[in-house]
Amino acid sequence: MTLSLIEAVLLVFVLGCAVGAALLKDTLAAVMAFAAYSLGVSVLWLVLQAPDVGLTEAAVGAGIMTVLFLLALSNTASPDVDRLFESIGWQTAALVAGFVLLVGATVPALPAIGDPNSAVVGGEVTQYYLENAYDQTEVKNAVTAVLAAYRGFDTLGEGVVVFSAVVVTLSVLRREVVA
Amino acid sequence: MSTGDADPAAGDDEGPGLYVESTIIMTTVRLVAPFILTFALFIMFHGADSPGGGFQGGVIAGSVVMMLAFAYGIDSTRQWLDVRVVSALASGGVFAFVGIGLGAMALGGQFLQYAEFEALFGHAIKYAIELVELGIGAIVAAVAIGLFFLLAAGFDGVAEGDSS
Repeated sequence: MTLSLIEAVLLVFVLGCAVGAALLKDTLAAVMAFAAYSLGVSVLWLVLQAPDVGLTEAAVGAGIMTVLFLLALSNTASPDVDRLFESIGWQTAALVAGFVLLVGATVPALPAIGDPNSAVVGGEVTQYYLENAYDQTEVKNAVTAVLAAYRGFDTLGEGVVVFSAVVVTLSVLRREVVA
Repeated sequence: MSTGDADPAAGDDEGPGLYVESTIIMTTVRLVAPFILTFALFIMFHGADSPGGGFQGGVIAGSVVMMLAFAYGIDSTRQWLDVRVVSALASGGVFAFVGIGLGAMALGGQFLQYAEFEALFGHAIKYAIELVELGIGAIVAAVAIGLFFLLAAGFDGVAEGDSS
């Protein structure tokens, strides 16, 4: 598998931001690194031709999450930072390295990007959706057809989960919605 | 803000330095907000034919309120946007989604079987999907706004609630 220049640059950027978010000692800097990481991942989704996921990542990961993190930071006391990076114990480093090796070992099992013989593309269900989505739902975006029509019950569940999450948060923190 | 009564109230709840009154930011937000809200609705409606959908559009719609809050102060925005509007948006979205499902049952189909609405109007499945996306958008926007106001208000309410 060969990387195009833009993919390689994005991967380096995303990896750098991820390491930065984990290692920076200043919380504000870590939040910013995390936002940049989300933005990089969302562009990466676009390059990999998954615009629906990319849009969600950009709006939720880089947008709303950053704002909520910043608000939470402004409501808490931030300790003085004496140096730029966290110090890392060798146990932590060994654990993380082991985990990266473990996850990295599964990467060769993934099909190549755009491989016509991969299980996902050749699957019966995928082919059914791709062939029948427009005729049956009159919706051009097959992702929306699957989300809202074929798997509408799942999506209803998701909506109710989001709704109940905020209801629980509000009642746990004992606040009216807008205080 | 030129109104004198909004500023002391803003000082109570917001930490020092959280809100800076700036004409540039206020003007920019005033100009840009309608377009972002339109873009959010476009993402919600046009999600059927292009990338996007209720979740993404809802988050963008919620971010409009956050932008207003940064320009005009969180407390003023909280007073301007009624509690009931936010809760009605969240529960209204769930009710719309469930209502479409139950409506299909009332017409003799199964839960969420959009094709049953074909008896009432043409292109029923497409319009039902659009409505569902709009409902999801309402839920997500209200949740984003609610969490934003909740975090902005701080957690003083917990201490008050425990002592009472």
